[in-house]
Amino acid sequence: MQKHFKKIRLVLALVFFAAFLVSFADFRGNMPSRWHSAILYLQFVPSVIKFFTPLAVLSLGFIVVLLLTLLAGRVYCSTICPLGVLQDFFIHIRLKWMPKKGLRFKQAHRVLRYSVLVLALISLLFTGVLVFNLLDPYALFGRMAANLYQPALGWTNNIIAKLIPASTLHAVKINTLHLASVSFAGGSLALLIYLSMAYERLYCNSICPVGTFLGLLSKISLFKLKINPSSCTQCGKCQSVCKSNCINIKNMHIDESRCVNCFNCIPICSENSITYKKSAIGLAKKPVTSSDGGRRLFLATTTAFLAAKALPVFAVNENKSEEEHEDKICFFSRGPIAPPGAIGIDHLKSSCVACHLCIAVCPTKVLQPSFLEYGFTGMNLPKMDFAVNYCNYECRKCGEVCPTGAIVKLEKEQKKLTQVGKVVLRMNKCIVETEATACGSCSEHCPTQAVKMVPYYNGLPAPEIDPSICIGCGACEYACPVTDPHPAIFVAANTLHVLAEKPKQEALETVVEEEFPF
Amino acid sequence: MKRRDFIRTSVGASLASGALIGTGALNEAFGSPANLQNSYDLVAIKGGEPDTMFMMAIAELGCMGRFVKKGQTVVVKPNIGWDAPPERAANTNPKLVGKIVEQCVKAGAKSVTVFDNTCDEWTRCYRNSGIEKAVKDAGGLVVSGNDQSKYRKISLPKGKSLKTAEVHELIIQSDVFINVPVLKNHGGATMSLAMKNLMGVVWDRGFWHKNDLHQCIADFATYRKPDLNVIDGYNVMKRNGPRGVSVQDVVNMKYQILSADMVAADAAAVKVFGLEISDVAHIGLAEQLMVGTSKLDTLSIKRISI
Repeated sequence: MQKHFKKIRLVLALVFFAAFLVSFADFRGNMPSRWHSAILYLQFVPSVIKFFTPLAVLSLGFIVVLLLTLLAGRVYCSTICPLGVLQDFFIHIRLKWMPKKGLRFKQAHRVLRYSVLVLALISLLFTGVLVFNLLDPYALFGRMAANLYQPALGWTNNIIAKLIPASTLHAVKINTLHLASVSFAGGSLALLIYLSMAYERLYCNSICPVGTFLGLLSKISLFKLKINPSSCTQCGKCQSVCKSNCINIKNMHIDESRCVNCFNCIPICSENSITYKKSAIGLAKKPVTSSDGGRRLFLATTTAFLAAKALPVFAVNENKSEEEHEDKICFFSRGPIAPPGAIGIDHLKSSCVACHLCIAVCPTKVLQPSFLEYGFTGMNLPKMDFAVNYCNYECRKCGEVCPTGAIVKLEKEQKKLTQVGKVVLRMNKCIVETEATACGSCSEHCPTQAVKMVPYYNGLPAPEIDPSICIGCGACEYACPVTDPHPAIFVAANTLHVLAEKPKQEALETVVEEEFPF
Repeated sequence: MKRRDFIRTSVGASLASGALIGTGALNEAFGSPANLQNSYDLVAIKGGEPDTMFMMAIAELGCMGRFVKKGQTVVVKPNIGWDAPPERAANTNPKLVGKIVEQCVKAGAKSVTVFDNTCDEWTRCYRNSGIEKAVKDAGGLVVSGNDQSKYRKISLPKGKSLKTAEVHELIIQSDVFINVPVLKNHGGATMSLAMKNLMGVVWDRGFWHKNDLHQCIADFATYRKPDLNVIDGYNVMKRNGPRGVSVQDVVNMKYQILSADMVAADAAAVKVFGLEISDVAHIGLAEQLMVGTSKLDTLSIKRISI
C-alpha cells in the first residue's frame, strides 16, 4: 500500500494545481465565486489573515492544515501548495535533463529559515503583511499566474481567434502589463526556476515562512517517515530521490522538519526499509543533529507577538475622520483608489498579500496592480484604474474571491452604496463649456446619477455633481472624452471607505395618452 | 481567354444573373403581399406585449419576408449597453429581440446575428439583459461587439463632423440590417432612439462626444440605413437615462414604432415620449442630410391600438 503513496500524492497535487490554473484563467470572473473560495480554502497564510479580519471567523482552512500537519507531516507543501508543486515540476525537468546528477543530503539552513520566520512575524508589527506579500508561496504563485500565465493564455486565444476566424473563440482584451508587477512576477519565477533546479526545495526549507512553521509542527506529527536500521543497506537510493535533501543515509535519519512527504523514497527502496508509520504520540526521539535554538526563538517571539496582540488588522482606526472633499483636490494628488470592500487603504495594506486573484478575475479589469501608489509597504496591491475601465455597479467579484479578507464580501445593496472616492468636476475643462456642444458621457455612465445633466445654456445640458450620492466607481472618469491632459471629471480617493447616501427617487407620474400623439 | 471559354463564361454568368432575377421576382410574388405599393411608411402600435405588437405591426408592413429573403444574412442591433435587468428598460426588451430573430429565422435567413458595442462589460450586459438567452432560444447567434479587430474603417462623405468611423464588419457585410433601439431619455443626446442606437456599431464613441454629439449622430445616419427600425417603447425610461437608477425611472407605455425611415421613426418616438421633435437636435440635422423625413403628416402611417 505505501508503495502507492507517491502516486496518490502526485494525483492530488495535480488536481490542486489544475484547480489553481483554472481559477487564475477565469479572466472575466465567470466561474462561481464559491469555487474560487473552495480551491483557496486551505491556503495557509491567506486563511490565517482572513481569520483575523472582521466577520471571517469561519476561515478555518489553516486549522485544517495545522491538524493535517500534526497528523501526517508537511503534506501541505507537497500537494496543496501551488508553489511547491510548481517547484516539483522544475525539479522533475532537471532530473530528466541531467539524470546522472542525482539528489543528495544537505545540511539544513537553520539560522536562515528561523530568522526569516521570526522576521516575518516581527515585521507584522511594523510593515503589516509585507514580508508575507514578498515570501508567501501562494502570493508568489498568484502573482506569477495573474501577471504571466493569464496574459499568455489571452494571447494564445487571440492568435487562435485570428488564425481560425471560424472558431468560436474571439479576441479578448488582455490585462495591461505593468512593468513593476510583471518584472516582479517574472523575477520571482526566474529565481524559483533557478533555486529549484540547482537546490531543489531550498525555498521551502529555508525561505518559506509557512514551510518553516509547518516544519516545526511536523517534528511532533503522528505519522512520520522512518528508516528501519535493521534492514537498511545504506545504498543511498532514497537520498538520490529526496527533493528536500533531508535523508541522511549515514546515520539513517530523516529530518522530518524538512520532509514534505513526497513519498518518493518509499517505492525506490528495494529493501522496503522506509515506512510511513505512527510515532509514539508526537514525542519523537530527538535526532542527534537537531538544535532547539530556532524553535525556542520562534516560540519566544510568537508568545511575545500574541501578547502584543498586534495583528495590524486591529490597527484600523474606525474613527479616522473622513477625508475632506475640497475643490482643491487635483487629478494627480487624488490618491490610489482601493476596491469596494477594502474598507480603507489601511485595511487593504494590513491584510492583502497581493496574490492578484482579484485582478485576474475582475470582469472589467478596472483592478490593476499598484506600484508605489500605496507606499512601499503597499507594493503590488490592487488599485482601481479608471483609465482602463470603471467598477461595475452590480459586480462584487473581487470581494467574493479574496482569500485573505483584504477585500471583504459586500452585500449587494452595501456594494452599491460603498463610497471608495468622490467625484470632482472641472467644469472649465468640460466639452459643454469648451466646445459648446452636447456630450453627457459622464452622466450617461453614472449608476447613481451623482453626475446629472441639467440645463446649462442654449438648451445644452451640462453635468452637475452630487458627491454625497457618489460611490466613486469611476464610470464618469472613464467615459469622459476630455484628455487635457486628464479627464474633466474624476474620482478622488477616500482613505477610509464610507457609505454614500441613497440616490433620492421620486415617483414618476405615469400618465400615458389615450390617443396617438401624431 | 479563348473564345470558347469566353462564351461559356458569359453564358454561365447571364444564366446565373437570370436565375437571380428570377428568384427575386418569385420572392416578390410569393414572399410578400401583392399590394406593396399600399404599404405604410410607418406603423405605430400600442397596448400589447412586445412580441404580439411586433407580429401585428410587421404584418402591416408585409411580414418579415419583405425584409428578409431566403439565404440572406441578417444582423439585428438592439441596445444591450448596460448591465441591467429587462424591467429597468436600459436595454431593448428581450422578448421583442427574440421575436424579431425568430421571424428572421422563419423567413429563411441564413444567419441571424445580434451584437452591441456595450458600455458596461459586455458578457454581463448580454446575460443580464436577457437578450443573449432570448436570441439563442430563437435560433440566432450573439457575438461580441468588444473585439476591435472586427471593426473596419469606413468614410462618410456626407458627414459634417464625422468623416470616418470604424464600423463592425457585420453591419458592412450583412444583407439585412435590423435596428432595434429602446425608447429612452438620454442625458447627453436628450433622447436615445434609432439613430442614437447606431453608436453601438462603431468602435470609437469618444470622438462623437468630443466633436458635437448631435451632428455626429446625424452624420453616421448617412452611412448604411437600416432596412427596418423597430423602436421598443414597451417600458420607457423617462429620466436618468440612458442608464437609469432604478425601476422608478420607468413607465410601462406599451408602444412600438416600425419604419424603414430612421428620422420618421425617431420623430414619432419623440412625440410618444412627450417631447417636441425640435427638442432632439440630431433629428433635424439628419433630415438636413436627407436621411429621412420628420414631417409625419406627409407619411402614410398605420396606427393600431390593442
